[in-house]
Amino acid sequence: MKGRFPVRRTLQYLSQGDVVFKSSVKVMTVNYNTAGELSEGARKFVFFNIPQIQYKNPWVQIMLFRNMTPSPFLRFYLDNGEQVLVDVEDKTNKEITEHVKKILGKSKETLEKEERERKKLSHPATFGPKKYHLRECMCEIEGQVPCPAFVPLPKEMRGKYKAAMKKEA
Amino acid sequence: MLPALRRCRPGPVPLPALAAALGPGPAPGLSPVPGLCPGWSPRAVPVRGRKTRHDPPSKSKAGRVKLPPPVDPEELLVVQERYRQYRLVLGALRAEFRAEVLQKKQEERLAAQDSVQELEEHRRLMAWNDEENARQQARREERARREEEEQKRRKLEVAEKQARKMKAFLEEKEKEVLQLQEEAKNFITPENLEARIEECLDNPQNYNFAIDKDGRIVKRTVLS
Repeated sequence: MKGRFPVRRTLQYLSQGDVVFKSSVKVMTVNYNTAGELSEGARKFVFFNIPQIQYKNPWVQIMLFRNMTPSPFLRFYLDNGEQVLVDVEDKTNKEITEHVKKILGKSKETLEKEERERKKLSHPATFGPKKYHLRECMCEIEGQVPCPAFVPLPKEMRGKYKAAMKKEA
Repeated sequence: MLPALRRCRPGPVPLPALAAALGPGPAPGLSPVPGLCPGWSPRAVPVRGRKTRHDPPSKSKAGRVKLPPPVDPEELLVVQERYRQYRLVLGALRAEFRAEVLQKKQEERLAAQDSVQELEEHRRLMAWNDEENARQQARREERARREEEEQKRRKLEVAEKQARKMKAFLEEKEKEVLQLQEEAKNFITPENLEARIEECLDNPQNYNFAIDKDGRIVKRTVLS
């Protein structure tokens, strides 16, 4: 694959991000420096974790500013006008993600509840188009009669034979 | 939508005359009009029959005039008016229900957002964030102070080293000067030239001796 750490572009890596922002967070701004030991954590955060965050929060605007301030920080803009400042100097990227998840991320219980609500909308036992249901036809399930398009039915099951037998009798 | 639904209804599907001629069961393999007839209906076959769309119509159809079905104008007006009212009412009902469901969802969402617990939780988290920032500030100040101290110490050290070097250099130079002064006592000047020559002539030095590896004199030869 192309790039320095192409694993960052895989779906598996992106879906492993666990920071889902609350619905009140609209904009996230990251000010960091491209050189300096103290900004290392912020740089790693931008490089590794921001793709995961953006994947999980497609409607949050994320802006990056480089070399504008002497020390790195994060700023969140909520929809009620409140601004949340997070100082990230001299922190590792893991610490930064944990901090952000704690103050502005949805808790695990909330996420689970939302998941359950979503599952309630659709019934897993119904059949129909692949877009809305799990299965389209009974022939897809193991142990059931296979699809007659691939394996012809035995003659006793065909309407043609049954009609002929009835006519004979 | 109604005519489309009507087509999908199970039961007697419009049969062309060709289908009857084919025998008990026309093979569904004859490609039916794609998308229109459900696959499970065994009687639906293409209506075109033998000719393609590019073939001209036959001579028997030369004078054919196709007329639309007859319509009674009063009945039409009445029926149209009734349908119009019916559709109006149904559309309004649908819109009403849609709006109601949307309203309920919005209210639920807002209630979940604005609940007191949520605000409390938010404030608590913001307070914790501020504390964290304060801790970070303390750490930063500590670091800055240490850096300054380090800087001062380094400067002092450099100054000291410089001073030491200067002192050593001066001492070295002093020593050299003294040594030179010492040696100057033994210099041969024009004044004691005569005396020194006399002295050398009076005391002949005998260099004719042999030395072993330890530096002791082994043999002496008499000066001739």
